[in-house]
Amino acid sequence: MRRWIPAGLLIAVLALLPPLLPERHLATFVLLALAATVTVGVSLLMGYAGQVSLGQASFYAIGAYAAGLLAVHGVPPLLGLLAAPVIAAVAATLLGAPLLRLRGHHLAFATLAVQLILLSLLAQADWAGGAIGLQGIPRLSIGGFELRADLGYAYAAGSVLLIAVLIARNVIESRAGRGMRAAATSETAAAASGVAIGGYRLAVFALSAAFAGLAGGVYAFYLGYLAPGSFPVLLSIEFVVMAVVGGLGTIAGPLVGAGVIVLLVQLLNTLGTQPGMPGYAPAVLSYAVYAVILVVCVLYLPKGLVPAARSAAGKLRRGSA
Amino acid sequence: MSDLIGYLVTGLGIGAGFALVASGLVAIYRVTRVVNFAQGAFAVLAAMLTASLLGAGVPHGLAELGGVTLGALTGLLVGAVAVGRPGTSPGTSLIVTLGLGVLAYAVEIVIWGDQPRSYPGVPGVAELAGARLQAHYLLIIAVTVPVFALMAWFFTRTDPGRALSACASNRYAAQVVGIDVRRMGLLAFTLGGALGGLAGVLTTPVQQVTFDSDVALIVNGFAAAVLGGLTRPVVALAGGLLLGVAQTLAAGYGGGAYQVEVALVLMLTVMIVQAARTGPVAETAR
Amino acid sequence: MTAVVETRDLTVRYAGATALDGVDLTVHDHEMVALIGANGAGKSTLVKALSGLLRPDSGTITVDGRLAQVPEGREMFGDLTVDDNLRLGGWRNGRGGRDTTAIYDLLPDLAGIRTRRAGALSGGQQQMVAIGRALMARPDVLVVDELSLGLAPLIVTTLVGHLRALNTGRGLAVLLIEQNARLALDLCDRAYVLEAGRIALHGRAADLARDPRVAAAYLGGHIEVTR
Ligand SMILES: Nc1ncnc2c1ncn2[C@@H]1O[C@H](COP(=O)(O)OP(=O)(O)OP(=O)(O)O)[C@@H](O)[C@H]1O
Ligand SMILES: [Mg+2]
Repeated sequence: MRRWIPAGLLIAVLALLPPLLPERHLATFVLLALAATVTVGVSLLMGYAGQVSLGQASFYAIGAYAAGLLAVHGVPPLLGLLAAPVIAAVAATLLGAPLLRLRGHHLAFATLAVQLILLSLLAQADWAGGAIGLQGIPRLSIGGFELRADLGYAYAAGSVLLIAVLIARNVIESRAGRGMRAAATSETAAAASGVAIGGYRLAVFALSAAFAGLAGGVYAFYLGYLAPGSFPVLLSIEFVVMAVVGGLGTIAGPLVGAGVIVLLVQLLNTLGTQPGMPGYAPAVLSYAVYAVILVVCVLYLPKGLVPAARSAAGKLRRGSA
Repeated sequence: MSDLIGYLVTGLGIGAGFALVASGLVAIYRVTRVVNFAQGAFAVLAAMLTASLLGAGVPHGLAELGGVTLGALTGLLVGAVAVGRPGTSPGTSLIVTLGLGVLAYAVEIVIWGDQPRSYPGVPGVAELAGARLQAHYLLIIAVTVPVFALMAWFFTRTDPGRALSACASNRYAAQVVGIDVRRMGLLAFTLGGALGGLAGVLTTPVQQVTFDSDVALIVNGFAAAVLGGLTRPVVALAGGLLLGVAQTLAAGYGGGAYQVEVALVLMLTVMIVQAARTGPVAETAR
Repeated sequence: MTAVVETRDLTVRYAGATALDGVDLTVHDHEMVALIGANGAGKSTLVKALSGLLRPDSGTITVDGRLAQVPEGREMFGDLTVDDNLRLGGWRNGRGGRDTTAIYDLLPDLAGIRTRRAGALSGGQQQMVAIGRALMARPDVLVVDELSLGLAPLIVTTLVGHLRALNTGRGLAVLLIEQNARLALDLCDRAYVLEAGRIALHGRAADLARDPRVAAAYLGGHIEVTR
């Protein structure tokens, strides 16, 4: 029973919060939920499969473009949205088969390279709108009911996040998940058990890509417009920052990480657009925030916020008892 | 035919720039086992400062020296944060350098804005066996080759260089003979910063820089360095030149498209082949 | 006789496990001292603590003069030449103290291989380089961790000869850690027996060699298992 309390809490927040938010904050909510969805996958990948992906935004982009292109060509939007994670996962499986032989910084650069290749190809692909981008993506409609207002997308993004969290939890609690966790901390153990771990790695890679693809699909319908420039390398780095800051290998970690960072960046953005601030202020502040938080966190809080908070709470409890 | 020679020499010039970025990565990696993600930032900062100095009337030579010095100082700073704390693992350090690279964006935009910058290099067009190419490419090659020779000399014939090589070869033994490996790590970062800075100031006249040019630089530099397992400067030079030539040939005969892809696919192929030969590489970044 | 190395109540722990527990050990100048003990007794830990690579958890270490070590496993700079390996041994002495010619006089075998890559040498040659590298520091006391490990008897005899010559000719104090207890006890003046991080026995080497406890555990009828 207890294991359902956090899930219930998350559902309550995702269900009750959006209507209470003023219109201008709904956009932040949507982006936060989408970023958190991708980060759940990144955290799974880094914490449970011991892999750093600096190209997770590729799968976000693949999902977004898949959904967008299908919808533009007349496929019902909901079908496009469902296809997005599948296509992203298939792409990840095809890419992962050769790439996941790499480890550590090699894998980091390989995933980065994949993203750069994807961006370059997209910019040259006229059928995907080229560098100018893909326009005229219809709005998402579910059962003949078209989502127009941000509130609808807030629920769509919230549902997507919830699905990712529930799947991730099941994976973590499965036998395979526990095996993977052991493998993530010891390459030797992984090598010893051979094929099976390789298969799990690929599965987690594909799953994390599916989460990113699903979030990307919602993103495509929400914005109605996609361009290669919407998926910079920096976006991939941001997902890593969120995962690391929140704490790898926990379910709450990516949610907290994405929450803290998106809100902080939003706050500084508001600050940066105050009258009297130079035009570059918002960009500069957000770069600085990502950088400083990442560096301080890996050096001084290497396990991330959630595990740190848990152990602090544990100490407090022991101290008072 | 003259097209081909033009592409080749231009490619060597571009590749020499990659090789310099790669040499900085190698200098740092050998000693600290850290892949320095901020390597591209050294080049960008150095190029930006050089552009400003030239704009303020500082003569060529001095301005470039200023840029390289800034690269070296930034290298030292990045090193201090990334490997300065005892017990920082290489994987953690990589993430730190990633963060510092992003921090450099903020600094660069505040100081220099977000518009591309460039400055004139060696003026004019050179004729080489009937091929016409920008003369500046020849300067890049003419500087890079001696720099690599100088590095080879430094690493094998001077005591600080030997100490750096010693740290690269056997960290524990270096501690046994009393070499301060952390200080050597900082020296390596400083050297890497200077080399990155040199890459930036040399290539900017033919390839303008923006604050986020660092991604392309670091990826190409890494691609060049990875050929030699990130530890062999000479192989990195060869890798850089090869990459540059492959890109210009692809651009020249492929009509300008797909040159990025050529380099990246080459890098992926090299890494996958290497991994297949040696088994999964054991380093884990976190 | 004055002490060049003296530890008092030296304790070193690794993440909870105690590797050295209240060790008192003295090496006087001009003296050759053996330290014997089973695998995992804490010998290499003592070497690391003496050379300042490990911080003691409690107790004191006093080194009067300069200490250099020949590390366990020889620890070559494999990519560097023999000459560079030697040169780096003088790193602490500054630029003036890095001339290697004197070492080639002391260890003439090295002269012929000075430009070879250290990583490509035989075990015996590497051990010679390791000794030469330590001597480059111009030590007053030399700590040798596992002199004979994995080496052919003939080479060991040569190395032992060099150590003895350095000791008698130049007054170099030696702390010798050795799996081959008989060799160590024959060569040295005094000896310590380390067991599970504690000094179990110490005294004149000749006396220890006759001690039934030492004979049973370290010189005994069973075949010495070397790695
Ligand atoms: N870095 C380390 N971390 C944790 N424990 C260690 C470490 N190094 C050594 N130990 C432990 O400390 C104890 C003493 O080790 P040490 O290497 O000093 O033994 P030794 O006497 O030199 O053995 P050998 O004859 O095998 O060289 C052993 O139990 C060993 O497992
Ligand atoms: Mg030992």
